[in-house]
Amino acid sequence: MKILVINCGSSSIKYQLFDMTDESVLASGLVEKIGTESAIIKHEPAGREKKVIISEILDHRVGLKKVLDLLMDEKEGVIKSADEVSAVGHRVVHGGETFARSVVVDSEVRRAIRETFDLAPLHNPPNLIGIDAAQANLPHAVHVAVFDTAFHQTMPDYAYMYPLPRILYHKYKVRRYGFHGTSHKYVSQRAAEFLGKPLEELKIISCHIGNGASITAVQGGKSVDTSMGMTPLEGLMMGTRCGDIDPAIVPFVIAKEELTLSEVNSMMNKHSGLLGVSGISSDMREVMEAMFDGNANARLAIDMYVYKIKKTIGAYVAAMDGVDAIIFTAGVGENAAQIREKVCEGLTFFGVDLDRDKNGMRSKEIQRISTEKSKVEVLVIPTNEELMIARETLALV
Amino acid sequence: MANIQHIAVIGGGTMGQGIAELIASKGFETTVIEQSDELAKSAYQHIEMSLDKKLAKWGITPAEKKLTLSRIKVTSDFSALKDADLVIESVYEDLNTKIEVFKRCDELCRPDVIIASNTSTLSLTEIAASTNRTDKVIGLHFVHPVPKIPLVEVVRGLKTSQTTVETVLKLLSDLDIKGIEVYESPGFVTTRLIILLINEALYTLMEGVATAEDIDRAMKIGYQFQAGPLEMADHFGLDSVLAAMERLYREFGDTKYRPAPLLKKMVRAGHLGVKTGEGFYRYNEDGERVDRKEEQSL
Repeated sequence: MKILVINCGSSSIKYQLFDMTDESVLASGLVEKIGTESAIIKHEPAGREKKVIISEILDHRVGLKKVLDLLMDEKEGVIKSADEVSAVGHRVVHGGETFARSVVVDSEVRRAIRETFDLAPLHNPPNLIGIDAAQANLPHAVHVAVFDTAFHQTMPDYAYMYPLPRILYHKYKVRRYGFHGTSHKYVSQRAAEFLGKPLEELKIISCHIGNGASITAVQGGKSVDTSMGMTPLEGLMMGTRCGDIDPAIVPFVIAKEELTLSEVNSMMNKHSGLLGVSGISSDMREVMEAMFDGNANARLAIDMYVYKIKKTIGAYVAAMDGVDAIIFTAGVGENAAQIREKVCEGLTFFGVDLDRDKNGMRSKEIQRISTEKSKVEVLVIPTNEELMIARETLALV
Repeated sequence: MANIQHIAVIGGGTMGQGIAELIASKGFETTVIEQSDELAKSAYQHIEMSLDKKLAKWGITPAEKKLTLSRIKVTSDFSALKDADLVIESVYEDLNTKIEVFKRCDELCRPDVIIASNTSTLSLTEIAASTNRTDKVIGLHFVHPVPKIPLVEVVRGLKTSQTTVETVLKLLSDLDIKGIEVYESPGFVTTRLIILLINEALYTLMEGVATAEDIDRAMKIGYQFQAGPLEMADHFGLDSVLAAMERLYREFGDTKYRPAPLLKKMVRAGHLGVKTGEGFYRYNEDGERVDRKEEQSL
């Protein structure tokens, strides 16, 4: 069975076509600058040369049509007809409280996704546009919505509620939702397979550290707490996001600097984190390079970054009363050995013993980087959100 | 409905710059047309300065600044109008000047293109009558400072079609701007109310009821104005305030619109506000107040 996975932004479509008989990728690509005369399609059929096409694509529906045409191209296509795509898995960022799992899209689901627009104004509207575009192009296929927040719906109320007047929860659903759910779920399942233990018996701390970053406490396969909150701004220090700060700083800075709401939002989301502290870059590699060159701001940024991860891991060990495995995944988590080392250095009290040699080795496969005698397994697991979306979709077809 | 991708802004003054910056930042290809290459270049530089200010206040990122600028072209060549999907005129508030511009747009633009005017006090019906597309002429009255105030008065002339109104409202929603529909009347809602308030503030000052600083402070603290009326007048330009006041006086013929003598006096003295460095307060070249020492030191 062939499943198309798509992830729509306001002017982009990311896609991957899977053959689920062996979970292989038949083609993948990206459509950018939708809505303009010079939209760009970067199409990569498996084992063949990458193609870049520039043409007028005025909406997502046309964009997806062009992608399907490429997939069905007589010479270089990977499928013969659109009918071969039996299902489409859609990434939807925010599922609110309505969706605790992936669902087949029907009119009721569409309505519910629309109701979450307030909670994810940048992401959910284009996600829904993507669903409409795909349904128009592939009416015969089953369309499944996979939510970033769904995995975290198992959190207990004391973990997801904020100590604010409760009326805000009732009126606007102000609470913790958490993000990167598809990734946290995927890597915790992979960890259980790798360790040869049932997921139900494991206490896992999953660190998804990319440009956006979140940590989740996974107990018995269920998310019991996660560091991102109502929006992806809470929690860890990130590339350009500040993560946790004293909330009183916000009205203080607004008053002192005479900022508008959009300016203060942009300050915390785009000008803070590694970039804001180091003044160099939001890219961990560049900040580390500067640190090795003796830049004091870069050193401070990295110390703060690592310290926050360590503190959060400590908190989740307490939340679960123990930990069997710590997972590092996503851009920084999979590639920055020094960051992993600095995080693990301070976790000896919990029984973490890092194998420095293994930690220094690069691999595309799942890797154990703790020693034999370590009480806690430390793993590096490449995440694969697209594959997870395809699997979730397959389960519902 | 026409697909609008490319918008031409005629006139690169304060309002034209603001409109161009706003629409470019929302992803539209933007062409600013000015009378000369020098003026066009200066408009571009002012937009860049405005973006730099936003960057300094964390409102945008360097990449966003670059992207917005990359969508803005400036020129003195009116033939650029033939590629425009919509035109917004923002030249000097004078009927004959605007009519000249509209005639030119009517000749050069595709027949399906809507031509909008940023007039605040002139008759749209009269402007529209100079073209052969009266149904596609509409008023879009932006509020200064444009990139910060998400409000536009959408003004129907006598012949403006419903399709034109709907196209424009859709565009405004893409720009995250609230469109308020108003009918043709001098000053519409915003200008009529605010200019009158400024005029009354001038009388209050003239009569010695309170100092300029205190008049502004009273309205800021008392009624949560972001800027006091006199500060606002400095930003609009006292000459523009006077011109608007005189037009309202002429159109309505009601003495309540009589310009305050102090306003006339200040305009004659060349104290026009921010743009001349002096109005009710004093300003530096960046338009920042220089007479507030205690607040400056913060």
